[in-house]
Amino acid sequence: MSGTPEGTFEALRAQLQEAAATFADGPGALEGILLGLVDDVDRAVREPLEIFPVCHHSPASAIAMTRRLREKQPKVVYLELCEDMAPILTELRNCRLPVALQAFATETDGFPAAWAPLSVVAPITEASAEYQAIAYALDTPGVELVLVDRSSDHVFQWDPRARHSEDTAARPDPSDPSDPDGVSGSSDPDAPTAGEAAAPHGDAVGLEIGDLRPRFAELEEHLLRHGRVRHWSEWWHQYVELPLGDSDHDTYRQVMILIGSLFRRLAPGDPGRVRVDEDRERHMWTRMREHLAATGTDPEDCLYVCGAFHAASRVEEFGVHGNDTFEIGPRSATQWRHGLIPSSHAAIEAQFGLAAGSVSIAATLWAKNLRRTRVQPYRLTGQAGGGRPKAGKSAPPAIPAPAVPPSDKLTGFLRQPPTLDRLDEAELLGWSVEIVRAARRNGYLASTADAIAVFETSILLAGMRDRAKPTPYDFQDAAVTCVEKDTVPGRRDVRRLVEIMMGGDRTGQVGYEALPPLARDVHDRLAPLNLKLQQRGVRRALLDIAGRPELEQCSDVLWILRRLLPQGAARPIMGERSLGERSIQESWDLALGTHQRALIELGYEGVSIEQVLEQRLRRTAHAPDATAATVLETVEDAVLHLGGRRLADELGNRALEVLSTERGVDGAPEVLHRIRRLLAYYRTSEPVLPPWIESFVKTGYAHYCTLLPTAFTDDDATVRQVAAMLGFLFSMESLALSLGCDRTQLELALAQSHPQSHTKTALLWAARTHLGGLSREDLRARCDELLGNPLTVAAYPRYLSGFLHALEPVPGLSDFVVEAVSNAFARLPDAVLLPWLPTLLTTLRSGGAELAPLLIREAARTFPGTLAELDTWTPPWLARPHPGPLEHTPHPAVAPGHSLLAAHPATCDALADRLGCEGTWAAAAPAAPGAALVARHPAAGEALEALLAGG
Amino acid sequence: MSDLLRAPAEIKYAEELDWLESVDDSPKPFSWRLSPKMVRLFILGSERSDGLEREIPQKWFGDRSLVERSIVTLASDRGLLLIGDPGTGKSWLAELLSAAICRSSTLVVQGTAGTTEDHIKYSWNVSMVIAKGQSRESMIPSPIMTAMETGAIGRFEELTRSTSDVQDALISILSEKYISVPELDSDSIVFAQPGFSVIATANSRDRGVNDLSSALKRRFNFVRIPVVTNKKSEAEIVRFRTKELLRRHQLELDVPPTLLDVLLQSFGDLRAAAAAAGSDDEKLESALSTAEQIGVLEDAVLHSDFFGERALTARALASSLVGSLARREPEDLAILNKYLHGVVEPRSREDGGPWPEFLEGGRDAIATLS
Repeated sequence: MSGTPEGTFEALRAQLQEAAATFADGPGALEGILLGLVDDVDRAVREPLEIFPVCHHSPASAIAMTRRLREKQPKVVYLELCEDMAPILTELRNCRLPVALQAFATETDGFPAAWAPLSVVAPITEASAEYQAIAYALDTPGVELVLVDRSSDHVFQWDPRARHSEDTAARPDPSDPSDPDGVSGSSDPDAPTAGEAAAPHGDAVGLEIGDLRPRFAELEEHLLRHGRVRHWSEWWHQYVELPLGDSDHDTYRQVMILIGSLFRRLAPGDPGRVRVDEDRERHMWTRMREHLAATGTDPEDCLYVCGAFHAASRVEEFGVHGNDTFEIGPRSATQWRHGLIPSSHAAIEAQFGLAAGSVSIAATLWAKNLRRTRVQPYRLTGQAGGGRPKAGKSAPPAIPAPAVPPSDKLTGFLRQPPTLDRLDEAELLGWSVEIVRAARRNGYLASTADAIAVFETSILLAGMRDRAKPTPYDFQDAAVTCVEKDTVPGRRDVRRLVEIMMGGDRTGQVGYEALPPLARDVHDRLAPLNLKLQQRGVRRALLDIAGRPELEQCSDVLWILRRLLPQGAARPIMGERSLGERSIQESWDLALGTHQRALIELGYEGVSIEQVLEQRLRRTAHAPDATAATVLETVEDAVLHLGGRRLADELGNRALEVLSTERGVDGAPEVLHRIRRLLAYYRTSEPVLPPWIESFVKTGYAHYCTLLPTAFTDDDATVRQVAAMLGFLFSMESLALSLGCDRTQLELALAQSHPQSHTKTALLWAARTHLGGLSREDLRARCDELLGNPLTVAAYPRYLSGFLHALEPVPGLSDFVVEAVSNAFARLPDAVLLPWLPTLLTTLRSGGAELAPLLIREAARTFPGTLAELDTWTPPWLARPHPGPLEHTPHPAVAPGHSLLAAHPATCDALADRLGCEGTWAAAAPAAPGAALVARHPAAGEALEALLAGG
Repeated sequence: MSDLLRAPAEIKYAEELDWLESVDDSPKPFSWRLSPKMVRLFILGSERSDGLEREIPQKWFGDRSLVERSIVTLASDRGLLLIGDPGTGKSWLAELLSAAICRSSTLVVQGTAGTTEDHIKYSWNVSMVIAKGQSRESMIPSPIMTAMETGAIGRFEELTRSTSDVQDALISILSEKYISVPELDSDSIVFAQPGFSVIATANSRDRGVNDLSSALKRRFNFVRIPVVTNKKSEAEIVRFRTKELLRRHQLELDVPPTLLDVLLQSFGDLRAAAAAAGSDDEKLESALSTAEQIGVLEDAVLHSDFFGERALTARALASSLVGSLARREPEDLAILNKYLHGVVEPRSREDGGPWPEFLEGGRDAIATLS
């Protein structure tokens, strides 16, 4: 085998043979498997349509792909990628890789609602074979790129759990190891948690071209143990990647198909997953045959790029001449939107369960291989980032592709003895020096001696691990051994420093042209800020709206973004916006570049942020679990961000609708606050109140009156909620009465309320005092009685809590509350007082943020300001004369209608007679207040009398 | 099997080491008796893929790369410092490494507050000095000096327990690789032979007692041995070590898997409780290491064998657990009581198995102690 040194694959051969021997059931089965492997390889190689097996994030695959494309120059490239993603591929040229192709559906149709939003991502890195194929196909005239894998819709349709457990409506978990492509389960304990690293991809289901990994934990464990490596990425790197680096095309193909076939035959794993895989293969071959038939292309001119796992397929539809029995089901009615989102190496590693740093190492290796082999990679014209020379349109130099050996490559592969790879000493030396410098910068006491030690240890470790040349993983271990001491001085430890040195995490960026219209619109509208918002990191924006009125529009956009994007994307530092309030100066911390994915995903929902906001507000307001409070919140948002009355009125009507169907009082405090704010806003800014808010007050008044008696007795309704209901009733009363409500309803409701708990009883007393049903003196007398009675004194604090809450509906009672609290401190025994104090504090802190100032102001008015005054001070409530027994005889002069009765005594006499009451008419007191006034100006009185007598 | 109470590794595994040496044809650094790969194989056990005629059992359980890094460090110019929580197997790994590399694991200096420079370098046989004057003959070499002279591995246990001046004495030994004896007129320098290195261990809980100087840190490669949290490996360690310890008492006993599970589970629970505790009073004083589990199990087995029914019971295990972990009264007892009633009781109700008996045993033990 020319081009491939004899024995490069010896180690891999030993590994695979042993795995086959361990996992096959007996020697007969082993033979069957080995023969099967040969069959698989043979079938795939004989296929007239050339199959090119790849593995994800494998620079060896990428190099082999580049070579093959340059040599064969196929006219059609079939790629294992969701077929519906084809239109966005060309946008890749506007992006800096890695980015991910995304299919996104906000609203589902045909899938359980709990799955929404559906999101599928397929990350693309530069060091991947698929990118080479895409770049070649898109930039070479006359070449067609056909995506043949099932659509994003089918990803969810074919999800094994969707088939079995539609009723449970469990969303496919992207981090679940058994997921079709989102293989997870990193074995590196130091890896960052999947949550933070995977942030760029959100909770999307990940797709990878060329997923090649044992699907059976025991097999993987076996390979790792026997390969003496820690994780799968390292195994692949050592046993496949390095030996494959320089192999010829045929060897490459055979090895890849062989590995795919072995994993498939030995341990296919979960049957549901196998079925999905086979269906995908059927789908791909069916699509390819359709395309070949439709275009009449010669299969010889085509190249089919797929994962090695699929290259070793045994389905009947396999091949150009395969069966045409597979029917591709229709897509669901779900509306899918497609776009590109930024990705990062760490996100890819987290999503697919690769070891931390492995994608970065692959990128470094790819760059090095390019330099070494002088292979000219394909690159989309206009592609940003990377900094490597473009592929150029000039004819690439002929790559000395390794000569194809005559025959029977497989036998040769299995017979090769191990050989030594060249030891790239200079590179290792460079790394050693570099890591020591990095460590020093990060606070380590590292010196040149450490660089020497790292160099030496790397070589020793590689030797011990049977590697001819230290891999980046050996180097990392050596650096940790020699430089890491008992503590980490800075933020990063040596392991992390090595990862950064090996290329670190690289985050992609989606270029302006590839952004959805919404995102472009946002950037356009924020252009007056003159900030590079596309770049990652936080930018500080200063908006002097008074000085530059045109910035007000930017401010509007920013406030909407703050409402729509995750926290941190747009954060106001100075300035605020609330109903009827706008700042003249604002400053913002903007991180739109960092949160590019969120902005792009907004773009799937609409064409402008206003439209998206409107949709979301509508959706919230019409959600089945919407409450009056949440709908009022959307009204507030609509007024605040969208202006105009149309949407606010529509949502307001919806709030009215929700309120009238509500049966609980949970949201009462929230409703009260919001409606108060909205009323205050409309009263100051509009000539007339919107009709919906008038109806809301009217309905609310009747609604809360109806619920009041139940709320007073219901244990589930808290005192705060009841207080809020009373607050609504009392503070909206004048408006409600003017709109035709009847106060009697409220009085009746209070009369029907018979609370059991002490707090609510106090609240009821306060309410009755407000309505005049209970005088202050009565209230005071009741409290005195409670304090004086040793049996009830223990309950007094609970009454006090009720009074505190009563400040909300009856703020005029604050002087009485101060008195009651003072009395509590003065008269309550310590055993009662002390345990209650924390309750008082927590009540004031949690519920009483607004009540406390009221109380403090009142207390300041009541209590003396200086210490000297305290000696002579008497509390106002003690200074007052003790009220005498209540006079039940009303003052004749103030009795309403007295004179009227005197003038027309017939009715009263008849009634008295009927009741058997013998009384006489008393003469009206002459000195009634105001009587003198009436005597001096009799005209008004006479007119009234005439009116009444006439009526 | 030797008739020593506890034979050092090189004696205990002498036959295995001899055999490995006979089949080892890889290059060996310095005067090492085994090649680095064989040392690894001796410590971590053999796989079928190693192609050896006999199976070599695993002796130390933990991450493979830790062992590799340790071996490579010893082949380099630097000393090896194993650092970790008590009971994580640092000393055992050090012993195995020395036994495999130079067949001598007993050249040990134990670091204490009373360790002096003499313990590291040399001292004098006073009677001989009076009789013959100061000479090589009247000098008593320290274990470290002996290791230097013979090209072996010297061990320094609990390095951070010894004072700074004693630690500093190691600096010149590790960098210049010789000790000068100024009292002698001739032959006053003892040079280290090839193969000499030092394995020190340090307890990470002792941090701050006698911190290592930067100069000394630079001369050591640190390998941190983590606490085993993997239940499977922990079960293997406990089984392996208990068996070995019981062999001293001529006891061949297989711990029932359910009881082993009870032990591992209860330690796991207590560790989780300790991790969640806010103050030192809320966690057990014990570090809850694997070594402690082994201690509990050994104690329980011996107790049942000597005084019980000659078979390990859950009751004996519980009482041994309480007895070993309750060190402070009342804090530790309160924690154990809380654990028994808060965790074990519901579990014994739901799961059954050995848990009800375990609960009962624990309650009795606490009642006896309080």
